[in-house]
Amino acid sequence: MDIGVGLWCLQSTATNPRSFTRAYQELPEDARLAEENGIHSLWLSEHHGYYDGYCPALMPAASTALAATETLQIGTGVLLLPLHEPQRVANAANHLNDQFSGRFHLGVGMGYRPVEFEMKDLHMNQRLKLMNSGLDVVTATTPTPTWVGVSSEKAAERAGRRGLGLFISGAFSKEVVNKLIEAHRSAWERSGSSETNPPPVGLLRNLWIVDTDEQRHQAFQWVRSSYLVYAGLGWGADNTGVDFVSEIETSMNEVEKSATVGSADQIAEDLSGYDVDLVVCRIGYDQPPRAALTEVIERIGRELVPLTQEFGVKR
Amino acid sequence: MRLLLDLRHISDHTERRLLATQADVHGIWGVVVTGPSGAETVEASAIATATDHLTIVVDIDGSTAHPTTIAEEVAVLDQISQRRTMVIIRGQRKTRRAIATLLSGLPVGGVILSPPPAQASIPVRSPEDIPQIDPPEDAAQLAELINQYRDANEQFLIVVWNRSIKELARHAVGRAGSPDFPQMVADMADQIDPIA
Repeated sequence: MDIGVGLWCLQSTATNPRSFTRAYQELPEDARLAEENGIHSLWLSEHHGYYDGYCPALMPAASTALAATETLQIGTGVLLLPLHEPQRVANAANHLNDQFSGRFHLGVGMGYRPVEFEMKDLHMNQRLKLMNSGLDVVTATTPTPTWVGVSSEKAAERAGRRGLGLFISGAFSKEVVNKLIEAHRSAWERSGSSETNPPPVGLLRNLWIVDTDEQRHQAFQWVRSSYLVYAGLGWGADNTGVDFVSEIETSMNEVEKSATVGSADQIAEDLSGYDVDLVVCRIGYDQPPRAALTEVIERIGRELVPLTQEFGVKR
Repeated sequence: MRLLLDLRHISDHTERRLLATQADVHGIWGVVVTGPSGAETVEASAIATATDHLTIVVDIDGSTAHPTTIAEEVAVLDQISQRRTMVIIRGQRKTRRAIATLLSGLPVGGVILSPPPAQASIPVRSPEDIPQIDPPEDAAQLAELINQYRDANEQFLIVVWNRSIKELARHAVGRAGSPDFPQMVADMADQIDPIA
C-alpha cells in the first residue's frame, strides 16, 4: 500500500485567514518535506469561485510541486473535468509527465456546485455528459494514470468499466468504501478487460498521528472543523450518510467516526482492513498550526509508511 | 525598455530551465514561455519555481478555453511566482479584455477570481503590442537595433537569443534601459572577464 498526503487546497478560510502567496510558497516546501520523509505522493484539490480561494487551477500548482521535488508523485484529487476543456487537461498532464519523469497522476471528478458550472457558462445538468466526453478525450490522448473521484456505486461502476482508478472520499464509512470498491472491481471484471490487474483504488482517509488524549481531542476538532469548508460549499452525497447541506452535525459526526486518530500502530491496523493500492492521508486541514502539519508529515513518513508497506493490494 | 528573452522556440525543457535560471542570475527582466494548449501556465510555473527575480511572460491562445479558466490559471501562476507574471493573450480583443478585467481583480458577468492575482493587476498584452527581434551576431548592429526600439519608446522588446545570456545582459540590458549606455565599459568588461 502506498501512502500519500492530501489535500492541498491553498485556501485562506474564515477560520484561519492567511496570505495566498504564503500558501503557494508552502506547497513546494511541503512537497519537499513529504519527499524527504519517504511519502509516495501529495494530492491537490480544486473548486472555483469560492470565497476562500480554494485552488481553481491545479495544473500550475502541480507543476511547482513537481519542479521542487525529484521522486514524489503529485496528483489531483480531484480536478473537476466537466469545468475544463478536456484536451487542454490532457495536454497539461502530458507536459507534466514529459518534464517530470512520469510523476503526475490525474484524478478527476464531476463537481457539484451549480455556481461553478455557471462561471463557465455551463449548467450542472450537463455534468455527466461532459464527464463522459471528457474522459473519452483524456483516455485517448494521455497515458497519465487517471483516477476517478466518486460518491456513488454507479459512478464507481463507470470508472471500473473504463479501467480507470478509483479515488474515494475521506468522509465515507468503511461499509460505504467497501461497496464502492466492490462496484468498481465487479464492473471492471464484467468489462472483459485484457489487463491482468484491476485498476487501482485510492482512498482518502482523515487521520492524524497523536500520542495523548489531549492531542487526540484536538485532532478530532481539526477534522470536524475542516468539513465546515464543505458545508459552505454545499457538498452532499447520496446514500452515504454524509450530507453537509441539510445535516451538518450528523455529517460531522459521521466524518469523525470515519477518522482515524491515534498512534501510527493504531492507524496502520485500521488501514490494514482496506483492500486498496493507495491511502491518501487527509491532513491538509485549515486549522492546525504549521508546526503541527510539518510534524505529522514527518511522522507519517517515518512511522506509518514502514508499517503499511505490506498492506493492501498485492500486485 | 525592458528585455524579454524568448524561450518559446526552445524545444528541450532542461535547456529552457537552464536559460531561465541564467537570465535570472544575470538580470534579464523577463522570459517569454508557452506550451501546448493548456500547458502554458504549467511551463511558466516550473520556470517560476526555478527562478527568483524574472518576470514570466506567458503566451496563451485565448480561443482555446473559457476566459475564466485562462484567468484562473494565470492568477494561480501569479501567486506561485509571487507577483512575477505577465501575459500575452492571442485571439479576439473581447476575450483579451475579459481576461484582463478578471486579472485586475474585477468581475466579468458576475464572476470574480478567487484567489485574486497576487499583483493588483496582471499586465495583459496582445502579441502585436510587443516587438520582437532576432538580432545578428554583429555587436554594432545589435546596439543599433536596441537603440531604435528604445528611442521609439517601446516598453518591452522580445529577443530571440542563441548565444551567451551573460553577453545579452552585458551588452543589451543597460543599453535598453538608458540612452547613456557606455559601450566602452561593456567592451572593456569583455577583455577583463571574457564571455566563454
